[in-house]
Amino acid sequence: MPIRLLALVLGVFVVEADGARSVEVGAVARNGRVYVSSTASDGLMEDLDEAIQAGLAASITYDAELRRPVSVWFDRTVASAAVATTVQYDTLTRRYQLSRSVDGRLDDSKVSEDKGEVKRFALGFERLPLFSTADLEPNTEYYVRIRVRTRPRVTLFFWPWGRDAASGYARFTFIP
Amino acid sequence: MPRRSASPSLLRPPPAAPGALRPRRPFRDNPLQVLLGIFALVAALAGVMVLLNRSSELAPDFLSEFVLYSLSVVDLTMLVGLVFVLARSVIKMLVERKRALPFARFRAKLVLVLLGMTLIPAVLVLLVGSQLIFNSVNRWFNAPMDEMLESAQRIASDYYHERQRQVADETARLARSLAAADLASADLRVVRDAVAGSVTDQRLTLVEVYRLAPDADGAPQPVPVVDVASAAAGPVKAPDTSERLAARAASGQPDAWIREPLESGGELIRAAALIRKADGTATGVVVGSVHLTGEMAARARRMTKAYESYTQLRVLKRPLTGVYLSFFLMVTLMILVSASWMGLYLAKRITRPVQLLAAAAREIGAGHFEHRVERETVDEFGSLVDAFNTMADELATSRRALEQSSVDLQRKHAEVEDRRRFTEAVLDRVATGVITIDAGGRIGILNPAAAKLLALDAGAVGKPADEVFAAGDLKPLAELATAPYVAGRDWPAQEISLNRDGREVQLALAATPLHGEGRQREGRVLVLDDVTPLIRAQRVAAWREVARRLAHEIKNPLTPIQLCAQRLQRQFAASPEPVRALVDECTGTIVGEVEALKTLVDEFSQFARMPSPRRVPTDVHQLLTGTLGLYEGLFAHVRIETLFAVSLPPVRLDPDQIRRVLINLIDNAIEALNQRGLLVVETQHDAAAGVARIIVADDGPGIAPEERDKLFMPYYSTKKRGSGLGLAIVRRIVAEHGGTVEVGANEPRGTRFVIELPCGDADLPAGTETA
Repeated sequence: MPIRLLALVLGVFVVEADGARSVEVGAVARNGRVYVSSTASDGLMEDLDEAIQAGLAASITYDAELRRPVSVWFDRTVASAAVATTVQYDTLTRRYQLSRSVDGRLDDSKVSEDKGEVKRFALGFERLPLFSTADLEPNTEYYVRIRVRTRPRVTLFFWPWGRDAASGYARFTFIP
Repeated sequence: MPRRSASPSLLRPPPAAPGALRPRRPFRDNPLQVLLGIFALVAALAGVMVLLNRSSELAPDFLSEFVLYSLSVVDLTMLVGLVFVLARSVIKMLVERKRALPFARFRAKLVLVLLGMTLIPAVLVLLVGSQLIFNSVNRWFNAPMDEMLESAQRIASDYYHERQRQVADETARLARSLAAADLASADLRVVRDAVAGSVTDQRLTLVEVYRLAPDADGAPQPVPVVDVASAAAGPVKAPDTSERLAARAASGQPDAWIREPLESGGELIRAAALIRKADGTATGVVVGSVHLTGEMAARARRMTKAYESYTQLRVLKRPLTGVYLSFFLMVTLMILVSASWMGLYLAKRITRPVQLLAAAAREIGAGHFEHRVERETVDEFGSLVDAFNTMADELATSRRALEQSSVDLQRKHAEVEDRRRFTEAVLDRVATGVITIDAGGRIGILNPAAAKLLALDAGAVGKPADEVFAAGDLKPLAELATAPYVAGRDWPAQEISLNRDGREVQLALAATPLHGEGRQREGRVLVLDDVTPLIRAQRVAAWREVARRLAHEIKNPLTPIQLCAQRLQRQFAASPEPVRALVDECTGTIVGEVEALKTLVDEFSQFARMPSPRRVPTDVHQLLTGTLGLYEGLFAHVRIETLFAVSLPPVRLDPDQIRRVLINLIDNAIEALNQRGLLVVETQHDAAAGVARIIVADDGPGIAPEERDKLFMPYYSTKKRGSGLGLAIVRRIVAEHGGTVEVGANEPRGTRFVIELPCGDADLPAGTETA
């Protein structure tokens, strides 16, 4: 009994060490905006699937940061934005209520019964103009880092805090 | 009754100097603080219990997110606090043990026992309770429950799907049937009849037909033209949602159906279908609705809700278990923190007064009698502190009295010491012998005079008196030392005679008891006085009186006798020869004996009328040399040697009388030598005793010890001729000079006369005379 409890407590510190969760990031600067695309791996959806099927409102939040590399120091964050997608499954009607917001503003919403569409909607976004290029220096390398947080978090017992579900980044050189 | 307080300065810490660290606040009982702490603990526990009781009403995701985070933060905070408190206590205990502070070990044991009594049960309860929570949570989820709830949910869902499909199919059928209908016509009875059948047959509860009319942008917008509702369905119309659904269908979106709850209860399942002409042109939209009664919808919704709640709980099983474990852990930590604090508080409350008392005892032991312990509690320890402070007060008072007594005692001791030194000096210097004998019969004091008189040494001190005085002529002292006490009076004085080196010493002996403060007898004191000179003087005085009377009584008839004898001689001068010869012989004898008697009477007269000495500072060596010069060439077989001291100060004496003394002694010596032998004249200077010695020694036959003292008696002579007054006159002259003359045996043979003359006043101006 105590060994089991100890193992569970210690398990807090090794949870979410699965490397199957990742996110692919694309970034391109054009027409005064930085367009960001992101596609998370299916593993992320698998983590949330049980919660979604249970009727819980699941959300996947993409914290995007436009950063400039700095040598021998921490990289500088130029701008940041948060893209959140939520999925709510109605177990009675078997339909998914999907929505996406950018920095709290509703960007898209839909209802779907197609699980594939739900996965596509939840696991990424395409060419969202998240940042302005006004503050970028020409011919300078930047990168966009996206860290993915999911909710509900399936954590362990005493330690509700955990790492990001996935993270990735994409470099680009700003050429006006 | 113990005093409540010491001086205020002792109870209050001194004011801190500006800039100095504030002294640590002393530990005190603070009932308000304790009550507040207990109240806070009880309030926190009550809050936890309330929250725990209401946890079932909270959404699982709220519990797993907000509540779990909050509980974890609180648990971590309390855990850190508990570890901090324990670590601080352990470090303090280690430091106290390293410093060997009093009661550190006891306090450490007390704290460890109290913590152990709390920690062990708390941890055990935590482990058991955690396992119970695990088991309970696991028991929530089991296969029959899964299957039952999933089946119920599937039934409800399938029912909804079936009704939705029925509505969609019927609506699509109606749309197809209205493909040829003119929705823009004024007469819409055809349209109404076409859809009324579905309502009548209860395939649909409500049918609404919309005509598509282009708006300003040319986009088709649904315009209601006909609606048919079932009379039994009641108020089920909801035009807004219907139009939105029609618009979605008109825009080409698939799956144009919705589920709409009604305010009156129940739900509408609505589906929309485009009305297309034969060429495929959309002319309108049919929105069909089926009304689900409130009870039916609610039941389906409850089934779904139950299933969702169950599955949500299953999904969030671990964080929810964490929530309850966190609750349990929080209660355990609250108890642990409270118990630890209480344990430390009790340990401090118990040990601190004892530590203070131990420290104060050390201070008192070090002589700091003004040190006091501050009373911090009002319980038995406070009473103990009061008692200690009272004891310290009394000690301080006693110490002050003792110090005063010590000062008095020292003063008295100094006085006694002065008196003792004075007494010792007196006893050392006095010619009277003093002997003290304690109650045990042991000799306590034996002053030098007594030692000299009795020929004892300092080793006699401490010995029993009867043992010391047991020998020979000291027995009278032993008798006096052991004589029984007679109340109210001293023992009678005695006079004893001792023989010292062949001469008789007369001692006057007196004894008196020693009394202590309580008149108890503490021994006795023997006082010895050498009365030999006094007795001698008395004897000489007596003899002088005898001599004077003899001279007076004898000398008077001598002249007539002499004259008568001479007359007889003249009368018988003419007588016959035999008669004349006889008369001449007889008268010659009478005249001769009368002359001898005259000489004898003259000597008696001189002895009786000897003048007082006229002392002047005199060089003794010169005096001796001159005197010895009288004998040069007179005695061929007598060798006279002189042994003069290197330095002999002038001695105040009467040169004529001393010369007479010397001549007397030298004559006696030469006579004793029978004019053949060695005569030694020696001088010595004893500066310590303040005397000059003149020694006349011969190697003649010597004098028997028993006769030595009698030599100085008048009319005692060992010679065939002599009046027996020579040595008596010698002793008298020497005595009148303040000196002594003694006779003893010479080594290896012969007689030795020693004259001691005081020479302490030789610094008087020369020529001064004293009588």
